[in-house]
Amino acid sequence: MHVQMSGITKRFGETLANDSVTLGLGAGEVLALLGENGAGKSTLMKILYGFYAADSGGILIDGKPVVIDSPRAAMAAGIGMVFQHFNVIPALTVRENLLLAHPDAPALLPTRGAGQDDWLGTLKALAPDLDPGARVADISVGQMQLLELAKVLNLDAKVVILDEPTSVLTPLETQALYKLIRKIADEGRAVILITHKFEDVVTCADRVAVLRQGRLVADQSSEGMSADDLAAVMVGGGTIRHADRVAAPASAVARFEVRGVSAGDAFGSISEVSFQVAGGEIFGIAGVSGSGQDILADCLAGVRALSGGEVILDGVAVHRGGDGRPDIDNVGYIPERPLQNATAADLDLRVNLFLKKLSRFPFWLKWGSADAETARLLEDFDVRPRDPRRTAGALSGGNLQKLVSARELTGPRKVVIACYPTMGLDIGATQAIYRRLFAYAEQGAAVVWISEDLDDLMHFAHRIAVIFQGKILGTVTREQADRNTLGRWMMGAAA
Amino acid sequence: MKPFALNLPFLKTPTATALLPTGASALVFIGVSALFFALLGHEPFGLLWQVVLGAFGDKYSFTETLVKTAPILLCALAAAVPARLGLLTVGASGQFYLGAWLGTGIVLLLAETSGLVLLPLMLLGAALGGAAWSVIPGFLRARWEVNETLSTLLLNYVGALIVEWAVYGPWRDPGALGFPATRVLPDSIKLPTFLESRAHLGLLFGLVLAVGLHLLFTRSRWGLSLRIMKSNRKVAESAGMNYKLNVILIMAIGGAIAGLAGMCEVSAIHGRLQPGIALNFGLTGFLVAWMAGQHLIKIIPLSLIMGAILAASDALQLFYSLPAAIAVVLQALLFLSVLAVGGFLSKRKKA
Amino acid sequence: MELGVFIAGVLLSGLRSATPLLYVLLGETLTERTGVVNLGVEGQMLLGAFAGFAATVVTGNPWTGLAVGALAGMLLSVVHGALCLGLKANYFASGVAVWMLGGGLSAYFGISMVGQRIDGFAPIPFGALAKIPVIGPAIDQITPTVFLALALCALTGFFLYRTRLGLYWRAVGESAEAASTMGIRPLWIKWQGVLAGGLLSGLGGAALSVDYTRNWIEWMTAGRGLIAVGLVIVARWNPLLALPAALLFGTTEALTLRMQTLGVNVSPYLLGTLPYLVCLAVLIYGYRRARSRGGMPRDLAAVFAKTE
Repeated sequence: MHVQMSGITKRFGETLANDSVTLGLGAGEVLALLGENGAGKSTLMKILYGFYAADSGGILIDGKPVVIDSPRAAMAAGIGMVFQHFNVIPALTVRENLLLAHPDAPALLPTRGAGQDDWLGTLKALAPDLDPGARVADISVGQMQLLELAKVLNLDAKVVILDEPTSVLTPLETQALYKLIRKIADEGRAVILITHKFEDVVTCADRVAVLRQGRLVADQSSEGMSADDLAAVMVGGGTIRHADRVAAPASAVARFEVRGVSAGDAFGSISEVSFQVAGGEIFGIAGVSGSGQDILADCLAGVRALSGGEVILDGVAVHRGGDGRPDIDNVGYIPERPLQNATAADLDLRVNLFLKKLSRFPFWLKWGSADAETARLLEDFDVRPRDPRRTAGALSGGNLQKLVSARELTGPRKVVIACYPTMGLDIGATQAIYRRLFAYAEQGAAVVWISEDLDDLMHFAHRIAVIFQGKILGTVTREQADRNTLGRWMMGAAA
Repeated sequence: MKPFALNLPFLKTPTATALLPTGASALVFIGVSALFFALLGHEPFGLLWQVVLGAFGDKYSFTETLVKTAPILLCALAAAVPARLGLLTVGASGQFYLGAWLGTGIVLLLAETSGLVLLPLMLLGAALGGAAWSVIPGFLRARWEVNETLSTLLLNYVGALIVEWAVYGPWRDPGALGFPATRVLPDSIKLPTFLESRAHLGLLFGLVLAVGLHLLFTRSRWGLSLRIMKSNRKVAESAGMNYKLNVILIMAIGGAIAGLAGMCEVSAIHGRLQPGIALNFGLTGFLVAWMAGQHLIKIIPLSLIMGAILAASDALQLFYSLPAAIAVVLQALLFLSVLAVGGFLSKRKKA
Repeated sequence: MELGVFIAGVLLSGLRSATPLLYVLLGETLTERTGVVNLGVEGQMLLGAFAGFAATVVTGNPWTGLAVGALAGMLLSVVHGALCLGLKANYFASGVAVWMLGGGLSAYFGISMVGQRIDGFAPIPFGALAKIPVIGPAIDQITPTVFLALALCALTGFFLYRTRLGLYWRAVGESAEAASTMGIRPLWIKWQGVLAGGLLSGLGGAALSVDYTRNWIEWMTAGRGLIAVGLVIVARWNPLLALPAALLFGTTEALTLRMQTLGVNVSPYLLGTLPYLVCLAVLIYGYRRARSRGGMPRDLAAVFAKTE
């Protein structure tokens, strides 16, 4: 089956997400759709999957124009998509999730024994160790992805679209996925891999198409291409000023100490986490998504109650059991998922920038100099659009990230805790945030940096720890760090 | 899909956009009520006109409207104040009863005291009673996330029963010959009235509270912190705000206002504590607050309209022998009209 | 032996008292499973009670009464569905409006029914069963509506957990978004949930007036519908746990009614608060468990947590 997207254009308000993109692929091909965050890759594929309608242009299957106006239509046409944010239902079992998506599921669900596993053929092939009776909430992220893949293959999809599949996987799981993709392609299906990682392109794909700011700027075989070649095409002309590495601090005296911290409930927990960060040190934490990073970050920042242990800053215990009472002045905190955890979405940008500093205003509210400060912050951190009266919820993900950074990464700080601070940002903005974040280390603050990007961690952090199922499995220095060891720790292998 | 695409330019002006929901709701309400009356075999618009007369036709009707407006206004505030934190409480009637109960208790206990002392004490007691009854669900919400709509609804029934226990039991007036009530309370605690009618000071309390609280919520730092807490509890707490304390505080204020309403009714209208005095004021207050978009100033005219409907329903009962439930039916129809129009307009906006 | 008879008596009359509540509880469980909350069940129950009673007065057939009551409840639930699902109104506000409408209409038209009496269901010929020790004396508490309620309990459980459609319902209640990407139409499923809830709550109201009290008084449900909404949480949205939850309320009520005979000299009004307080206490317990162990359908949790 040959699929051709022809002249696809899509606008969202003022943003041109896709600009006259023409792209095709045939059976057995693995195409990597490469581009920075915000380049339009996801949008293009969502149009192919029927989530959005293109403003102009069309889709041809085997030379004939087709109308794909809904996911159902896409599935009927043989196109399946595995999303970055999975469409699984955590409270239901693996088996139930598969049955939900299967077109032939019977009206009366099969009970134990005979017939119960007839629909599980594909899943068993992909993940033989996965217990179909397990609740999806309890399985690992890698297994969830295989479940999603099984759903798509159950529908006998001829075109399989994978949206940033390796971003949630450990290095070992990534290799397994590459093998799987190869196998699927050899069966005669076409695979599109949406990614911003060079490794995906170089190792797995036959062809690479590069999107930059909505336009297709390259479409060629991926053979022989190096990471630098790809970077050049992806980013285009103009140099990106990369952040500089910060020298390790001279003194190893701990400034920020975490001792035996435990917290959490049935939905997730961390236990007995201990480490120390010196003043001026960048302490990186790597781990598969869902290993407890968000809980740990909340505990470190004093936002969440501890069930055990304590957090010590400059020799003084700042957080110990009971309810969180955050030390707002000394601690900068960028939580994960800024929309839910760091902003008041229906209030404007000005309020959001000052909500931790309300006490400096008079009782009968007058904003005074805050307006000028707001304008300056929005400018410095490149938050778009620059309108301070706009509600925070109206900002795009990347701009929201910048807004939160503007609030947390200004002013003197003794500790900065950043959890996925560059999520959704393009390379230029990412480096800008890095510069500000690491500047705090240069000034002597302790920086705790939780990231999903192992390469960046290994390049910039002074020490790297790995968290798995709520526990720190091991810590290495920048010099000692190697991908394989870290990758194994990320999957739970003992240190 | 826009079957009712009204593309009249004047509808797009700011004034029109602001008045459209109100105007449309009013029209829908009138239409639906007329339909209801017609289905019952009455002459619809004639009856609707009687409703207007029954509310504003003469001085007596007008003051009766004011009489009904006072408790509605106060109960609406009791619902709108917690809504500042996004709490959806329907507990005003229970708080009403507890306020009446505690206030009456104080009067019965200190009956000999001079009115100058007893009256304020009585009102304070009423406020405390209502506040306490509201703080319980508030605490449950703050501590264990127990949904406050459910807990306040359950406590309404308990509050009514507490009053019934008191008037059928320990506080029963033996001289009342089987009628369940306390003895008539002393004149010293009777709320001052005006316009030579039953319209009483409670109305003034409501107006002052509405305006005062409105200013507090919209112009003060505390008001802004409430908005932040409502928008995102986690962010507010990470900014150092005490969500739990504020929940309890705001529920207490709301409850105190409803408790006040209860004692005002006892003091100014009934003269004694008896069952059933809350009528549906609690629910009516909730409706008014909702229709006003929880806006404390808009609640004032809307309370008047509701008061008009209730006063007119009394008149309809008297002169047209319509069942008393007509008041409830009309209120329900009004609320449904507002919800329908509101939902329709917001759907069009998204389309 | 005396104690045994007393306890059996309380339990069985508790079961009878719990039955109308059980219908509503099952109905609201179904509705909430699809992610919709309907406080209007109180009004649907009232309308069902009135319509069912009136139909029984007119036709003399209690089964007709049950059917008419169920239908009335379902018709009223259409209003809630139209407001919430059609016009995107707030679930709680719409529920209160439907509650008012049901209560107002039933009180308005019910005037003519006040004071009427009906025969209700013919007693079930238990025959030899009535002679069983301990349970025997109270066995006449089990009426046809009780049997029907128990059957419906099992049926709804089977539906939710053993059928494909039930799986769709549960999926929609967890995540309408995920369900729609799999080709399910959440809005259609939610309508089904609302209507099923309407049918059952109307049936519960009819069971109350036609079988339990055999009369009509305005506002006679006294908050049972609202209690049901609370008890859904206690029953963890599981129809099979609805029975014990309803029994909790029923036996409390049966017990307080018997307090006088036990020589307990407490005001009946104070005793009357017990069912509500017990419900509140269990609600708190249910919430604490849900917080620590989960169990609330995800999308529904968003409805309860979302304010306005």
